Amino acid sequence: MVRKINIMEEKTQTTQKNNLAMPIAVVIAGALIAGAVLYSGGKTPTAGQPQQQVAQKQTGDLEKMTPVSSKDHIRGDINAPVKVVEYSDTECPFCKRFQTTMNEVMDTYGKEGKVAWVYRHFPIDQLHSKARKEAVAMECANELGGNDKFWEYADRLYEVTPANNGLDLAELPKIAEYVGLDKSKFSTCLASTRYDKHIQDEVENAQATGGNGTPWSIVVGKDGKKYPLSGAQPISAIKQLIDLASK
Amino acid sequence: MILNALQTVFRKSVYGILALFVSASAFVLAVWLPNIRLVAGVVISPDVPLLSKIELPLSLLGSIGTNFTLLSASYTVLISILFGIYIAMMTYFLRRRIKDVTQGGIATGFLGVASGVLGVGCAACGSFLLTSLTLFGVGGVLTFLPLGGSEFGIIGVILLGLAVYMTAKKIQDPQVCNIQN
Repeated sequence: MVRKINIMEEKTQTTQKNNLAMPIAVVIAGALIAGAVLYSGGKTPTAGQPQQQVAQKQTGDLEKMTPVSSKDHIRGDINAPVKVVEYSDTECPFCKRFQTTMNEVMDTYGKEGKVAWVYRHFPIDQLHSKARKEAVAMECANELGGNDKFWEYADRLYEVTPANNGLDLAELPKIAEYVGLDKSKFSTCLASTRYDKHIQDEVENAQATGGNGTPWSIVVGKDGKKYPLSGAQPISAIKQLIDLASK
Repeated sequence: MILNALQTVFRKSVYGILALFVSASAFVLAVWLPNIRLVAGVVISPDVPLLSKIELPLSLLGSIGTNFTLLSASYTVLISILFGIYIAMMTYFLRRRIKDVTQGGIATGFLGVASGVLGVGCAACGSFLLTSLTLFGVGGVLTFLPLGGSEFGIIGVILLGLAVYMTAKKIQDPQVCNIQN
């Protein structure tokens, strides 16, 4: 009889252990998230910081992409048969990597006149609070020095930023000076709000086309067909896609 | 105990093949996830040559080295491997003791995969996680995550590991008739 009771007790304990497994798993998950929150020091979004730039839906319509025009920042020939329209965030480490990849692509396809690279802004404020200001800086470079200075500034900015919000914003006028722009005029432009709407329009256009992360690119083919490309893909994949789009 | 259970299951090559197949499929899907529209479009389109249908998706797999951090690539690989092992072990288990499946093990495995998908999707800046959180109106929560959402991938690895452990324990727990007196 005693033995029977012991066996029943053991079975009850085993069942209790199994029943506890699920709550324990949930507690571990919760503890990790709580730990992450504590580790981050309970940071809260800055007041007034735009919060609505993230994609409203997962799948967008590529046809909603604002057509490429002379108002865009274009590297290469605007009449090239294939256009890579990139929506980018200067503090995203993958955009930093993609900048290098696209420069390599342009070294071959761009020089041959096969591809034009179009740069549009897509700062993700939740992740990189400094990216929007850096987008303004790039527009200021364009205002003061034209398309060439825009690209020089972009290359230098991506080169010096450690990404993930690591750039000291005090560097922005220094980069302007480095690429040969008037530092004083640049700082005045940077303090203005005249490019806020333009940047926000590009963010919204990225979302409308289905962009839900950066870098988000749309490869426009010779026949106008559009191919979505998400993330910093390897150069081999980009070349494959360009070859496909140029047929 | 886990090693013994693994030996018991993978002694039969069919479970090894199943684990490999599931792991490879999970890995490929995880890497393609951000570009699933492109992959599907290229594969389905009748205008795309056969060679491109093969080459483009294959070249996109290279993004494990360019579109993932070391951390996210690590947990993507780990989640894929653990998921394959978990499915093989569950299959082994279900074929023997269908009435004795632990709900806790299945739920933990499911949570592990779900969490892993969120983590994997966050490999690029924003991406699936950000969209998901925004859809639920809590996009700002990412501000609180020091690893930018990779926390979900880490949790996925832990939960899947736990699910594998729980399944292994059940496999090693012999079904016997208890002495009643």
